[in-house]
Amino acid sequence: MLFNILLLVISIVIYLSFGISNFIFILFSILTTFIAAKFLEKKSKKIILAVTIAVNALILIFLKLYGANVFPSLEGLNIIAPVGVSYYTLQVISYLVDVYKGKYKAENNFLYYCLYIMYIPHLFIGPISRYDDMKAQFLSPKKFSINSLYNGGLRIVWGLIKKLVISGRVAIVISTISQDIQAYQGAYAFLAMILYSIQLYTDFSGGIDIVMGVSKMLGIELQENFDSPYYSQTIKEFWRRWHISLSSWLRDYVYIPLGGSRCSKLRKCFNTIVTFLVSGFWHGANYLLWGVIHGIFVLLGDKIKTKFKWLNRLITFLIVSFLWSFFIWPTTVDALRMMGSVFTTFNISDLCANFLNLGLSIADWIVLGIFTIGLFIFDGNKNKIMQKVKTLSPEIKTIILCVGILLIFVFGIYGIGFNVNEFIYSKF
Amino acid sequence: MKTVIRVLIIIVIFILLFVLLNMLLQPKYAETLVEGSMISQYYTEPKDHEVIFIGDCEVYANFSPMVMYEEQGIKAYVRGSSQQLIWQSYQILKETLKYEKPKVVVFNVNSMRYDKNSPEVSEAYNRLTIDKMKWSQEKIDIIKDSMTEDETFLSYVFPVLRYHSRYDKLTSEDFEYLFKRKNNTYNGFLINKNIKGVTSLPTQRRLADYNFSEECYGYLDKITNLCKENDIKLVLIKAPSLYPYWYDEYDEQIKKYAEEHDIDYYNLKNNVEEIGIDYSQDTYDGGLHLNLTGATKLSKYFANILKTNYELTDYRGDAIYEKKLEEYKQAIQ
Repeated sequence: MLFNILLLVISIVIYLSFGISNFIFILFSILTTFIAAKFLEKKSKKIILAVTIAVNALILIFLKLYGANVFPSLEGLNIIAPVGVSYYTLQVISYLVDVYKGKYKAENNFLYYCLYIMYIPHLFIGPISRYDDMKAQFLSPKKFSINSLYNGGLRIVWGLIKKLVISGRVAIVISTISQDIQAYQGAYAFLAMILYSIQLYTDFSGGIDIVMGVSKMLGIELQENFDSPYYSQTIKEFWRRWHISLSSWLRDYVYIPLGGSRCSKLRKCFNTIVTFLVSGFWHGANYLLWGVIHGIFVLLGDKIKTKFKWLNRLITFLIVSFLWSFFIWPTTVDALRMMGSVFTTFNISDLCANFLNLGLSIADWIVLGIFTIGLFIFDGNKNKIMQKVKTLSPEIKTIILCVGILLIFVFGIYGIGFNVNEFIYSKF
Repeated sequence: MKTVIRVLIIIVIFILLFVLLNMLLQPKYAETLVEGSMISQYYTEPKDHEVIFIGDCEVYANFSPMVMYEEQGIKAYVRGSSQQLIWQSYQILKETLKYEKPKVVVFNVNSMRYDKNSPEVSEAYNRLTIDKMKWSQEKIDIIKDSMTEDETFLSYVFPVLRYHSRYDKLTSEDFEYLFKRKNNTYNGFLINKNIKGVTSLPTQRRLADYNFSEECYGYLDKITNLCKENDIKLVLIKAPSLYPYWYDEYDEQIKKYAEEHDIDYYNLKNNVEEIGIDYSQDTYDGGLHLNLTGATKLSKYFANILKTNYELTDYRGDAIYEKKLEEYKQAIQ
């Protein structure tokens, strides 16, 4: 209990450091949903559920629309979305729905509920947890062992390598290419798409690795959020492996309530597209088209699958990479233009000549290449490697940790001009 | 137990490697960017100077202690560095006084122009002054006083945090001077034999406000008080430079301050003809700084002022200084 109180106090203090307005927003969500859940056990519960979800969801929807400049007249208000609002809003909604459905009873202990929402490691970039999972973690007796410290430490170091060594380098190139859409089209745009796939994955999953590692050290096991997504053979599979906690949330609280797949073909298509529209909107009001296209590819499913595993993976990777264009370039029109330019502007020789003018030196490209290959090898053999690591002796684990730390110190992109604290997914 | 010992050994090896990494990646300032080595060279020198110069490039480029020794037998040292800001000069003086107690401290007032919000305050110059300082309370204070918004204290403690991106820029200099250092100055004077006479000068800009900041006055007060407390004669100077960065309004303020605090002030810009400086020959950068010949003329002139006014000892014949002089003469040939 004392440990949980301490964890909550630390979380609140850290969260407060981002500004009191953040805290007011999150407190509102916590209080409204905590109280509403209590009433859900009484009559007229549907109305309470609908109203509470609507109020909390509307805040998120408003912030997303405001962020996309849908309300130019309100620009002067200078509203800044509270840190983690996209994540904790989904968590409070899942809690309410689960209580409503009787999956578990409404929580009596305000501390646990607060901690579920405010648990600082997962508040910024997820994973989006479920209340029953988290409460079980809070209630379980904490067994702090050298092994959990080692395993947590290794996970953090791996996350930092992904974030600082790989993502940090790619970010420099992406920033160069995306800043000038006139100069950098065709082959440059294609390079940006491929590299952004790597950047987003290493940035997001690196952040999640750090969250998981810190939690592991605290004796808390969180749900995995990635399962080697770029080894997917279809887009449908990709969404089972990418941002798993969001995908499963959308499945449980949007797709299935809409009717899921146990209905007519047309209805299934509708449900899928709506689910991906919600997914797109969750990322931001500018990403609706991105969501719909993903939905279409999910519906196509195995129809575009060949019998060659590696070809399927390549096709899936290319589709995903192309669609990340919506995240690279500032507007949908720009993104579509740049996607089109890949097929209309043939300037590969220009790209080859300019390769070293994109912000990275030859040594940086080599480092990026080596670590990216290492990442894909790791992802391809993740389970085997993870199992092997668990059985290693403390000496070997120490060596791996030390080498990892040294690699981060030398090859990491950080310091003046680089904002290490910023994760791409913390902005959604 | 054996496992614990083995893990501890691995951690010790890691720490050693980390230290080595810091040393390797930090610029050595031995063959290139030698301005970064000047502050630390002082630690290797005998500490028996009667005159200490503090200030920016206008001291290390313009005043040659070896000429002063040869002319008047003065033992002087220039603790100057590139764009040395007044709060840095104060800490460097404080540090110097821990090693020795000179009779005279000469402070070049050029840095009164910059307060902590000035665009001239830059991380790169901070590094040249601070990187190679020995760890002390003064170094901690100088870092705290000097850090720009983007800098972190930790990056001074662990240079790898700042210089890690040099991993692909390492040269033979980084390995050659990993465990050794190279002295690039002669008692803090950086020899520059190049000649680039004046061809054109920037036009003097009008300023909205010519007053020195309270912050700079505060540090000047600290320097003044520190000298008083240690019974050291403080001398203010403005080194000659043709660039129009020193305004009459500035000069008036320094004159007033000097009068109020009973301090001698020499604006050597006014004595260029008397000194014999020929700006077609005696400058290496078109009139901003003096070259070797210019610095020699100025040092002779100023050594005479020092000797005449401040009861300095004539050390000529000192074995160590004679040897230094011999080396200096070889270097300037």
